[in-house]
Amino acid sequence: MTAMDNIVVVGNGIAGTTAASTLREHGYRGRLTIIGAEKHAPYSRPALSKSALHETGAFGTVVSHLLPAAEHDARVLLGVAATGLDLARRRLALSDGGACDFDGLIIASGIRPRKLRPDLHHERTFRNIEDAERLRELLRAQPRVAVIGAGVLGMELASACAAAGSSVTVICRGKPMHASLGSFLAELISNAAVRHGVNLVPSPALDVRDSARERGACEIVLADGSTVTADLVLTAIGDVPNTEWLASTGLLTGGELRVDSRGRLAPGVVAAGDVAAIPGRHGHGRVPLWMSAIAQARVAAQALLFGDAAPPLDHEPYFWTDQFGLALKACGPLPVMGEPAYMAGKPDAEPALMRWQDADGAGTGVSVNYRMPIAKLRALARQSPSPAQAPGDMVQAQGSDCASHPIHYQG
Amino acid sequence: MQIILDRARCEGHGLCAEVAPKLMHLDDKGDLILDVEQVDDADQASVQAAKAAVRVCPVAALKLC
Repeated sequence: MTAMDNIVVVGNGIAGTTAASTLREHGYRGRLTIIGAEKHAPYSRPALSKSALHETGAFGTVVSHLLPAAEHDARVLLGVAATGLDLARRRLALSDGGACDFDGLIIASGIRPRKLRPDLHHERTFRNIEDAERLRELLRAQPRVAVIGAGVLGMELASACAAAGSSVTVICRGKPMHASLGSFLAELISNAAVRHGVNLVPSPALDVRDSARERGACEIVLADGSTVTADLVLTAIGDVPNTEWLASTGLLTGGELRVDSRGRLAPGVVAAGDVAAIPGRHGHGRVPLWMSAIAQARVAAQALLFGDAAPPLDHEPYFWTDQFGLALKACGPLPVMGEPAYMAGKPDAEPALMRWQDADGAGTGVSVNYRMPIAKLRALARQSPSPAQAPGDMVQAQGSDCASHPIHYQG
Repeated sequence: MQIILDRARCEGHGLCAEVAPKLMHLDDKGDLILDVEQVDDADQASVQAAKAAVRVCPVAALKLC
């Protein structure tokens, strides 16, 4: 057991708050402090691009992201970021000029959007509730929108902008979501986006500048020399971990916060959530997904208290996206290669339930507009492949049910 | 404590049912069914499971009171 009596959590997102709650659930009764750079209680970030943007109320009234109040009874400092760490003295420097001592530290400082260039005043990114409220407000005027980047965030933003009545151009290097999902699902999503009127432009963006022809508008210059004119430019080109405050600590490996299978970095120091690079099948990597953040936080908090006696991370990623009328859920490794086996539904139609088998023997289950318990989707991903297998109990075919219970895009 | 489901918010991810399988499940249509709505406060395992279920929901469709 631990003798810790003063644990500090840096980060008040879902990872930080889950870690704090986990400490309490496992009997930690000592001092507990959470330092949160955002001025808000923890909220659901996935909800921002999925449903909050579709709310129609006045500015500042979004509710889709709100979570129940935490019960960890921690002292919570909001609007304060950690700016430095002295590991030897067990002391944090804070953005308000103060300091904070600890004997146990949980790093969950998250990530921020990567920008095309630091000096582009046209460029908007999307990460927090303020971004969501602002974008919702801007969309009321139905601006012409250019989205640069076609990962899950870029495509969900494009979907929300199109639903709000804007004309939308998505500028990307290849098919939308190709890198994260693979060519088959990328095609599915591309087709849905095009059906919703989105203009997909497969060309890297080189620059964004004021339009020479239209006052107030801007132009995105593409690699082939052509331009796209827009009133609003959203970039969603990945993220950067918030690790600058750790630069001189020796905790970073190749710029990453590489944790072990229990989230540990150093004696009395663990990390969890989007900021952490966790060990996986192909080395360390960040997995900035909701359920991964929660699972990591649970593991890291227990490891801080119990060390090797704590359970290691044993989490299969769960990914979902809502865009262009598609509710896609996936369990198992992504991207998926080649064609799927259909457990329900058929090609080019939804609802559908699909399974892929990769070369290592791992399976991935993907449902599209097909509601089923995640436990069953996980079981589907794990089961050994058998082409002749009837869906049976494992996965109930439910065509007519799905038709009468459609998954509405706005959730 | 009581578990309350806001069905309008529920998107059927089933993450709650995964962490609290003794308290709730998704039916064949993917709709969440609360098998236990009233949790005995003295039953620590169920209380913890209920709290975990509430916290894991990305759309805050569950609450405790």
